[in-house]
Amino acid sequence: MKQIRLGDIAIFIVSIAIIAFSLGRFTDFSGEPQVHVRTDGGEFIYDLGVDAFATFNGPVGETSIEIKDGKVHVHDSDCRNKVCISAGWVSRVGDWIICLPNNVFVLIEGAVAQETGGVDDTAF
Amino acid sequence: MTRHSDSRLRSTVIRVEFVALLAALALFLSTVEYLIPKPVPFMRIGLANLPLIIGLGLLHEREYLLLALLKILGQGLVTGTIFSYIILFSFGGTVSSAFIMFLLYRYGRRYVSLVGISIAGAMASNITQLQLSRVILFGDAARFIAPPFLMVGFATSIVLGLFAERFVSRSSWYAEHAQQEHLA
Amino acid sequence: MRATNVKLFMGIISLPAILLQNNLIGIVLQTIYVIVLSVTSGRKFRVLPNLILLFSVSSAHLLQPNGLLLFTIGSFSVTLGALLLGARKALALIALLYLSHYMVTGKPQFPGRLGRLISLQFFYFDAITTKWRGIAPKRPFILAIDKLLHTVSEQSAGDRQRSESAPAMASAIDLARQGVHVVVLWGLFLAGSLHVLPVLI
Repeated sequence: MKQIRLGDIAIFIVSIAIIAFSLGRFTDFSGEPQVHVRTDGGEFIYDLGVDAFATFNGPVGETSIEIKDGKVHVHDSDCRNKVCISAGWVSRVGDWIICLPNNVFVLIEGAVAQETGGVDDTAF
Repeated sequence: MTRHSDSRLRSTVIRVEFVALLAALALFLSTVEYLIPKPVPFMRIGLANLPLIIGLGLLHEREYLLLALLKILGQGLVTGTIFSYIILFSFGGTVSSAFIMFLLYRYGRRYVSLVGISIAGAMASNITQLQLSRVILFGDAARFIAPPFLMVGFATSIVLGLFAERFVSRSSWYAEHAQQEHLA
Repeated sequence: MRATNVKLFMGIISLPAILLQNNLIGIVLQTIYVIVLSVTSGRKFRVLPNLILLFSVSSAHLLQPNGLLLFTIGSFSVTLGALLLGARKALALIALLYLSHYMVTGKPQFPGRLGRLISLQFFYFDAITTKWRGIAPKRPFILAIDKLLHTVSEQSAGDRQRSESAPAMASAIDLARQGVHVVVLWGLFLAGSLHVLPVLI
């Protein structure tokens, strides 16, 4: 073999480490929390971590949600009571908001395991 | 390998013909590579980097920088990608690669052979390109093409490095030009 | 303006019109237009690589769900918004690619020292590719490259001078034609941003 030197081996090892790291990230399919919105028109999905604004049509008009800073709330709705708006912001997996008159159901889905602790705080 | 690098003889003259020739060689090798049938189209052997590795022992820093620049522009013009996103990848990859390789050659020559330099250059280039693709094209999903991309680059850079070492020791053209004053 | 540089200039001006395009239909039209331009000046359009590009970039964007759920593959949700966003980005890339193909068909000459260097690089590139055919045997490879380098280095500077000739200036027709392209591409951009074109996403 041509002169293989110490530095070559060092670089070789570091590179292998980098590749192994990239493989690790490859399988890291962490269930990032998603906002699922079910309406008459179908089901819509959004990433909770990405700021967004979306409007949906229902029997009584339009309902819009806003996703900001990892939280979601009903921004505006054509329903009479506006209960859905007063529900405010939600951000945890499992939280939901519903606008019954307009048939819009907002739910945060995802892997519960990434919550700190992983076990229900309210278990006791 | 003894080098007579007297700083008084440091040359700032850019040997334009010389650099252009090496840059042209890079273009030539990238067309050669293009014509080699590959099982997977994305597999880039990086033959075009050979002049950048060989040039380490032939050029001083300004010339080397120029070589890198010419390689980028030349490839961009030949492949017609010069005004698209792709040139950014080529730019980022080549610049980071050249930077690392030059530093390694300048200061680490005692510890690294051209093989290690080639690997380091390829890794630097590929990581840079992956990060760029993450920002420009794929978003976080870039991590899915990372492993195969890095692995292929790693393997091919080893082959290239070995080839470069052989070339340097056997080429008479190289020997002829390496005797000229250079800084590395 | 030199005749060789008109297309280059056109491309540079039109670049933002493609980059800033936010409308899917707009970018589709722009891409088609640019591909047609490119093909008519000689560049080949191969369906497969572009399709692969379109597919891979779109799929990558699917990983971040957005919008109407179309269907699920296992636990993976395919959303319309993400798909269209990915398609838009992929098409923008393809459009830029073919635009730059088109831009270099005029064999532009860059001004300044760098321009001359690039011309020199291409001169040697030409020399290398022609001389390479004359090199035999091509194995062992290293020795063949060695021979090639020796042969090309010995190219006289005289050859080089002869190949540089006085640049031709652009005609009014050339300018007008390129002007049309600029107008079309920017027009499509404006149509897209002013919502003249239907908004899908």
